[in-house]
Amino acid sequence: MAAIDVRHLSKTFTTGSRRRRGSIEAVRDISFSVAEGERLAYIGPNGAGKSTSIKMLTGILYPTDGDASVLGYVPWCERRALVRHIGTLFGQRSQLWSELPARRSLELLGTIYGLGDPASRIAELAELLEAAPLLDVPVRNLSLGQRMRCELAAAMLHEPRILFLDEPTIGLDLVAKQRFREAVMRLNSDRGTTIFLTSHDVADIEHVARRVIVINHGALIYDDKVSAMRRSLLRTKLVEVRFDEEPGPIDIEGVEVLKAAALGYKLTVDTARRPIRAVLDDLLDGYAVGDISVVDPPLERVISQIYETPR
Amino acid sequence: MNIYRAAFAAGFGRAVRQPGDLAVRAGFYLLLLLTFAALWNAATAAQGGDIEGYTFAALVWYVVAAEGAVNATKPRLIEEIGDAIGSGLIAVEMLRPVSVVGFRLAAETGEALARVLAVVVPGAVVVLLAEGPPPSSAGALLAVPSLVLAFGCNLAGQHVFAASAFWVNDAKATWFLYQKFVFLLGGMLLPLEFLPGGLEFWARTLPFWTMAYAPARLLSGRAEPMLLLGQVVWLVALVAAALAVFGAGERRLQVAGG
Repeated sequence: MAAIDVRHLSKTFTTGSRRRRGSIEAVRDISFSVAEGERLAYIGPNGAGKSTSIKMLTGILYPTDGDASVLGYVPWCERRALVRHIGTLFGQRSQLWSELPARRSLELLGTIYGLGDPASRIAELAELLEAAPLLDVPVRNLSLGQRMRCELAAAMLHEPRILFLDEPTIGLDLVAKQRFREAVMRLNSDRGTTIFLTSHDVADIEHVARRVIVINHGALIYDDKVSAMRRSLLRTKLVEVRFDEEPGPIDIEGVEVLKAAALGYKLTVDTARRPIRAVLDDLLDGYAVGDISVVDPPLERVISQIYETPR
Repeated sequence: MNIYRAAFAAGFGRAVRQPGDLAVRAGFYLLLLLTFAALWNAATAAQGGDIEGYTFAALVWYVVAAEGAVNATKPRLIEEIGDAIGSGLIAVEMLRPVSVVGFRLAAETGEALARVLAVVVPGAVVVLLAEGPPPSSAGALLAVPSLVLAFGCNLAGQHVFAASAFWVNDAKATWFLYQKFVFLLGGMLLPLEFLPGGLEFWARTLPFWTMAYAPARLLSGRAEPMLLLGQVVWLVALVAAALAVFGAGERRLQVAGG
């Protein structure tokens, strides 16, 4: 059984007053499924419909049309039963009480979820997330990165089978982001927790997800492995060349000079116009090349390319 | 039930962990007591010793309970709940297997109990030393549960009003209105007997009297158990209304988003 199964899901919001009634199609006919233990990045630009999708999958919103099953539950009909099996972490909304130590909030959540021995579960998670020294500090005195690790413990306390992470690393510094990603990966590898991640941070997607779904204007426009996305959508390659002498104008089909500094050049190659192998041959045959390397453009650029796809 | 007991205990703990807040409240409360005591001293003296049957001592004990009951709740709770609804924080609470309003009420009641202990106990000690014991010991005994029922009704009432944010996205105006109702119709400023006829009728008809007037009337020397019964009835009605309005609000959120 798939952990998440979505069929033709749509959500339309009505806007305006009675006189000027309008509507916004936040999600349009999306279908996909997610296997247990999978790590999925669900991405899109602002207003693409990501949060609306998550709200429907967690039962906070009714869809206008379509069906979804999350762990066998219809989320919007069986929310109270479903929430016992899913964990949620919204980057800007805390589950913890700021005046109390995180441990106290976790104990309270343990009671809510009817855990028999919350103390041992808290200790286990604290070790896994390297959060033990943080638990007895009032939450308001924790840094954002420390708080987010405690938030993750709160989301995982009742051993959910799916973890919905909505912009979990927003506002974190580089080190905190890295620690957070490692913690999520450990939860996935040690417990097989399904990860459903939305993020604008490309590094989150690269480090955490194996599969990526892109939505834009409410519609699903891409669904494949992160590595496949990088390969299939790359029409351009970056070539970094160090010449032994001034090369003069570079006139090769499909090649543009992106940057030139002394003898070091950065070129972009449109592989649809001329294959990379042919461009390399032209460079090596026609110029005094001292060193050369070919790299993929950053994933960020690939994603913006997908986002810019016309509606 | 275990969940709500835990929420109540966590709420109590949260208030206790803010000693600065408790100290400021207690200080402000004592200042109010002194101010009202001076006012009522002048007023009763001018009226020949009592007003509508309330002596100076009775009025001071009235203020102890009326101000204490209202001081126990957060002054801007309606706004806080409204912000939680408007910002979507309420969605996080909806993702727990527990009633949103039930959990909130239990936690807020715990906090209110800590605050009422922190303000009313020192206030009562000061008045006891200055004016002697409350006029009626039976009334004083009844005032203790009445005080708890008072902030219970107030919290439930605030949740009913705050739920308007599900529809209007901003509870600031609602908070302003509610605060004035409690201040005037709730008997926080004056005993209801001092209000003009029409206003007194509405004050006794609407639920706000349960939030300040009831414990204050009891502590000022009237052992009237019917006040407690009225508070219980209104508490049940207000909690039911809060559950119903929040339920409708959650359903609206599910359909229309937020």
